[in-house]
Amino acid sequence: MAGGGSLGGGGRSKRGKSSKRKSKKRVGFVLDMTPLVDITFLLLTFFMFTTTMATPQVMEMKVPPEIDVPVEVKESELLSILVDKDGDLFYFRGQGEAEELKMKNLKNLAIKENLNQINRLIIVLKVSDDTEYGTVVQVLDELNLAEAGIVDEMRVKRNQPNFERSRKFTIADLTEDDMEKIATLKPQTGGSQ
Amino acid sequence: MPKVKKKRVGFVIDMTPLVDITFLLLTFFMFTAKFKSEAEAEQKFFIERPLASADTSKLPEQDLAIVKIAFPDSTKQDTSYFYEMTNEADWNAVKSGIEGLTPEQMQGAQLQVSIETLEALIKRTYIVNSETSMAIDADKSIRFKWVSEAMDVLSKNRFTKFNYVTKKR
Repeated sequence: MAGGGSLGGGGRSKRGKSSKRKSKKRVGFVLDMTPLVDITFLLLTFFMFTTTMATPQVMEMKVPPEIDVPVEVKESELLSILVDKDGDLFYFRGQGEAEELKMKNLKNLAIKENLNQINRLIIVLKVSDDTEYGTVVQVLDELNLAEAGIVDEMRVKRNQPNFERSRKFTIADLTEDDMEKIATLKPQTGGSQ
Repeated sequence: MPKVKKKRVGFVIDMTPLVDITFLLLTFFMFTAKFKSEAEAEQKFFIERPLASADTSKLPEQDLAIVKIAFPDSTKQDTSYFYEMTNEADWNAVKSGIEGLTPEQMQGAQLQVSIETLEALIKRTYIVNSETSMAIDADKSIRFKWVSEAMDVLSKNRFTKFNYVTKKR
């Protein structure tokens, strides 16, 4: 490439007179893109590193409004799921005996119990004050996943395409009575304090 | 007459496709970039969000109030509530109705509050703008007691629908 200023058409024709060389015909012009590319790369790297791709997602939660009048429910329609301070799960129906529950079985239990009493079952999640919040969210997540399973089962396998799900769910505190219920089920090694 | 060979110095690479794609990426990142809000810039702690399965619902951007429950320092001994709102006009209106805030707190975009002040703030939020959506952004290893107390306060003040902020598993 010739030196900076002499690229114009005028300079070329002047030189052409003195030499026999055929002058190359130039189409368009050349622009030095280097600084542009430099700055573009700089900005690109800046934006690439500052952007956070994973925007937080949310889990919707509805709690019943505060009312003074206690609502009467049938014992048979009640399924209590207990989460104790170590994050261990237990469940019982109505006022029945508590049984141990594993996190991976929770979804299936929720689906099965709900299918037995379509849209009538009330799930009460009783959480100890000392449970880690992460565990509670995990339980809620499993229960949310179960909802899809219930609707799917009803609409597809039981052939009711217009099935509408109404979910009955509440969160409560783990009471002393509940603690007693699960006390015997806790593994004794280190479980008692 | 033998042809005179022109001496070539260096070589030329066609940069056009490279520049094209670079510009494309640059515009993409420039438009998708979202900068930290004032409240987040003030925040000195980090919230390790609980994991949940993938969900399409995202945090609303308009008229959002967030109750943050976190460990204010790295020792993870204390837990504290923090309150912030995205709508600045509402936020100032809410703060002006609360007594006992220092001038510094009046300026701040995020308030570290006790449960009593939190209740006052939430009550005031409902009066200022009842359409505000509520979110609870809590650290996954805090005790559930803190969350359940915040939930009680929310439901007592007619916010019966709210969101837990989670992270995609």
